[in-house]
Amino acid sequence: MSFAINEHRRTQLLDLMTQRGWDSILLYGNAWRKDPFRSLVNFNFSGDHVLARLSRTGEVTVTFSDPWDAENASAELEPEFTRAFAGGAAAGIIAIGGLEFMEERFVAACGSLPVSATADVEELRRVKTAEEIGFIKQACDLADRGYQHFATVIEPGMREFELVAEVEAFLKTSGAEDNFMLIASGGTEVTGMKPPTERKFQKGDSVTTELTPQVNGYYSQICLTLVLGEPSPGQLQSFAIFSEAQQAAENLIKPGITAAAAARAQNDVFRKYGYGDYTGSKYTRVRGHCLGLYPDETPHILEDVDYVLKQDMVVIAHPNTYLPLSGYMVFGDTLLITETGNTRLNKTEKKLFVK
Amino acid sequence: MKRGLITWDKSELPPSVFEARLARARAALAKRDLPALLVYSDVWRSNEGRHLTNYMPYWNRSLIIIPREQAPVLLCGLSPRVYPWIKSVTVFEEIRPASKLVPTLLQLCQERGWTKLGVLDLLGLPHEIHSPLVASAVEVSDVKLDLTDDAEIAMHRRAAQMAHQILVAELPKGAGLTDYQFCGLLERAFRRAGAEDLVLLFSTGGPTPRPASGALLGDKYSVTVALEYRGHWARVTRGCPR
Repeated sequence: MSFAINEHRRTQLLDLMTQRGWDSILLYGNAWRKDPFRSLVNFNFSGDHVLARLSRTGEVTVTFSDPWDAENASAELEPEFTRAFAGGAAAGIIAIGGLEFMEERFVAACGSLPVSATADVEELRRVKTAEEIGFIKQACDLADRGYQHFATVIEPGMREFELVAEVEAFLKTSGAEDNFMLIASGGTEVTGMKPPTERKFQKGDSVTTELTPQVNGYYSQICLTLVLGEPSPGQLQSFAIFSEAQQAAENLIKPGITAAAAARAQNDVFRKYGYGDYTGSKYTRVRGHCLGLYPDETPHILEDVDYVLKQDMVVIAHPNTYLPLSGYMVFGDTLLITETGNTRLNKTEKKLFVK
Repeated sequence: MKRGLITWDKSELPPSVFEARLARARAALAKRDLPALLVYSDVWRSNEGRHLTNYMPYWNRSLIIIPREQAPVLLCGLSPRVYPWIKSVTVFEEIRPASKLVPTLLQLCQERGWTKLGVLDLLGLPHEIHSPLVASAVEVSDVKLDLTDDAEIAMHRRAAQMAHQILVAELPKGAGLTDYQFCGLLERAFRRAGAEDLVLLFSTGGPTPRPASGALLGDKYSVTVALEYRGHWARVTRGCPR
């Protein structure tokens, strides 16, 4: 086989099987949600489906739906992918990471109803190994350099999708496996980011983006805002609030702090300036989230999430929201939680970019 | 991931194309005496929903509802802040926020008095949607639709032409580059031409193509491009030298 097994994860999963009384763990991946599979077998597949099966003896078998993936990984091929789940009741208690987003025909093919291992596997994934942190640091370096490129090539008259093409080209040239990116441009009428449109950038625009490059399966993220031309007093005032809010979270985040507290620290800054209404779901989604093999890992940083943060988790705190001062604005960095606090993994200067 | 230009060019796909497609779906519902059709859609599985409504989620999941007698409704996992944009590139006039998809769907069924529902590829639903849906009071049944028409084929042809033309033009530039560098060069060319999504695989003489890994391409290599243009995929492989 020409794929690498995450030995730390295999040990964790075997322990989990013993604790839960499971006979095997299946880790499913599809083209959108590769992460459960890659948490054990970090192989970047390009086909539709993949399944890793871990037995109680520690043996791992991998089955792909796509012949090219199977050949590149020297693994099993099963184009009729329901057959990959065969085994039924004779296989004992089957637990599946990624069960929730599996097609129902695959679940039915398991014979007896499998149990979900998704929450347990996600919890194991939250605390990163040194190797995983190394990949995320590389992704942060790409995010920094990618944003530098973004800020260099943007100019009035360029269309949003043309800028995205340039950034995408830069990141892929630099070795990014993938990149999730949203963008928005304009003024106070802009309420959120989305895929790029044909809109041409204009002087005075506030241009927001989040870059989320992936290296060896692991994502980092950076959120920044750039103004084309001289920033307006509203844009400057807005950025000052965002900067203070992000810093409040960065100052607070350490092992033992809840996601709720990290969200509250950010939202309290908005409340202090009279913009508390803009911290709710009408204007924003989350105040940050975890990062890893999925770009939007849980727990989300929200005031109703009581999850206690741990050392070696990787999170982004981003107070992204709409404000009437400036329109939608974003600002945030990837943070590694250390023994006593956190380390900012991005090196990009924390400022409102101006061009 | 979907991060290219997502738009609706009505000179390529006029509203009448979608009206005809929705009419066919409604005819299938009438034949089965079903009040509405459910079509699942997410970042990866967007083709059926795109065909019927031009909707493609760049993130998250959605349920597309096509009532037999009323306009389509989108139950959307994305924030209402992007609904104006979604309306500008799709046939939808009604979009409902749905962080919990199945409860929102069941609420809609209750409002409209629907006790049964057709589902396009019922067993293809994600388990966490299928399971509560079949356990609910709404009776669900699988519906098959022929999603091919002349407009669909014409768009695939357009995507294939784009993939072929750009790849043939750019292919010689890969000589001496790493696959990372050539991947970047191709990303720029395809996305500037309007590609929504792109999968690039490279081969330097091995039996199968694979994603870029930093390998030197040398002077003999091939590239496989899977390109999505306005919701329509095409795949082209070309080798250099030709």
